[in-house]
Amino acid sequence: MSSERVQTMLWWCGVALVCAFAAESAWHLEWAAVAPSWLFLLTALGRSWLLAVVAIGVGIVVAFPLAVLRVYGPAGVRHAAVTLIEAVRATPELMVIFWVYFTLPYLIGTQVSAWNAALGSLSVIAAAYLAEVIRAGLYSVPVGQIEAARSSGLNAYQVFRFIVLPQALRNMLPALIAQLVALFKTTSLVYAIGVMDFFRAVNVTKNAVFAPYALYLILGAGYFVSCFAITRVVRWFDPRYQLLE
Amino acid sequence: MSLDWSILWQFRDALLSGLLTTLWISAVGIIGSTLIGVSVGCLATVPSPLLRRITGAYVELLRNLPMIVKLFFLYFIAGLPAVASALLALSLHQSAYIADVTKAGIRSIARGQIDAALSLGHSWTQVFRYVLLPQVLRVVMPPMTTQYVAVVKNSAVVALISVQDLTFETQQINVETFRGFEAATATTVLYILIAMAVIGTMTWLQPLRFDRR
Repeated sequence: MSSERVQTMLWWCGVALVCAFAAESAWHLEWAAVAPSWLFLLTALGRSWLLAVVAIGVGIVVAFPLAVLRVYGPAGVRHAAVTLIEAVRATPELMVIFWVYFTLPYLIGTQVSAWNAALGSLSVIAAAYLAEVIRAGLYSVPVGQIEAARSSGLNAYQVFRFIVLPQALRNMLPALIAQLVALFKTTSLVYAIGVMDFFRAVNVTKNAVFAPYALYLILGAGYFVSCFAITRVVRWFDPRYQLLE
Repeated sequence: MSLDWSILWQFRDALLSGLLTTLWISAVGIIGSTLIGVSVGCLATVPSPLLRRITGAYVELLRNLPMIVKLFFLYFIAGLPAVASALLALSLHQSAYIADVTKAGIRSIARGQIDAALSLGHSWTQVFRYVLLPQVLRVVMPPMTTQYVAVVKNSAVVALISVQDLTFETQQINVETFRGFEAATATTVLYILIAMAVIGTMTWLQPLRFDRR
């Protein structure tokens, strides 16, 4: 038997052992205490998903013009777009959330609800990061193709619409969905401003009933399964992504 | 509303100590995540299905959990001290990404180069030192810069378990004086400056490729 086969068998034996041990330990956890909260936790997980999906939706709508301006805009506009994108990207996500929640009311004069602040700040974060993804996609189309298209008589709009855009979209897809994973993880930070997302819901339950291990197992599983599912979607969209890793 | 920037001067000690905490926690996080991440990334390139699967599982597990989950687990469930959980969570979280960067960097070197160097009679250490290292560093430096900036940014989360870093001090100023706007502006500028310093340092280190003269 080859060493490859032996190692693969060893791996699966190890996986089986770990799973058996984990299942045995999980069996003795405080499930009875957690059980009544299942709907509360599930709703909260749904709320995290909602935050991520809305933020990514708003993010794409804002990021696309931002990226196009950064790539094709006149010098002044381009610099403004770069400054905006890089300032958000260099600021910790938690600080962006605090900015929108605590300091925006000073500027606009009215209170912002925690939920709206969460949606707003996550959208800002998504827009800045996605703008970079889209820019990379636009740059991934070789200049030679654009020049060839121009010299064969297409105008600037046609070049963008029929030559650059289709290829850019295809090239940016893996990074786009990877950003969705990152954003899903970032939603956990809205805990800090009191939004009842999955992370806060688990911690609230933990303070109400004594079941820390069971709850953190649920917490980990919730995030892991969500993010892993998004990662799998990437692979499904683009099998070549596996080579890029 | 009127802005009162003197609040920053009034709280200069708090801001400075917060800045120092953020700096050293980020520095230790960068070193820790590099040590763990590069080791895991190197192991991932060893042609062994067992190692490949173990490192793959490590990366997937850590990459699919938010940093705050690791932080709270270490602090509230495992019961580590606040600073220790902060450092460990930062290092573990970013090590997964650094492992991927390292793996991709090593994979980007054509296998033929290593075989050629070995068949020319070079030892493994020579191959590593003169063939692999200079080329891998060149590929890996830019993505590593991104990862190190990410460590600085993720360090803000440790404020939530009351490690008194920049973000924590900002919240304190907001709670005590309701001058959140001024404090947040100052802190954001400081974070951007730290990020720029990290990028500057990495760009400055870029020519350092251990090329053989």
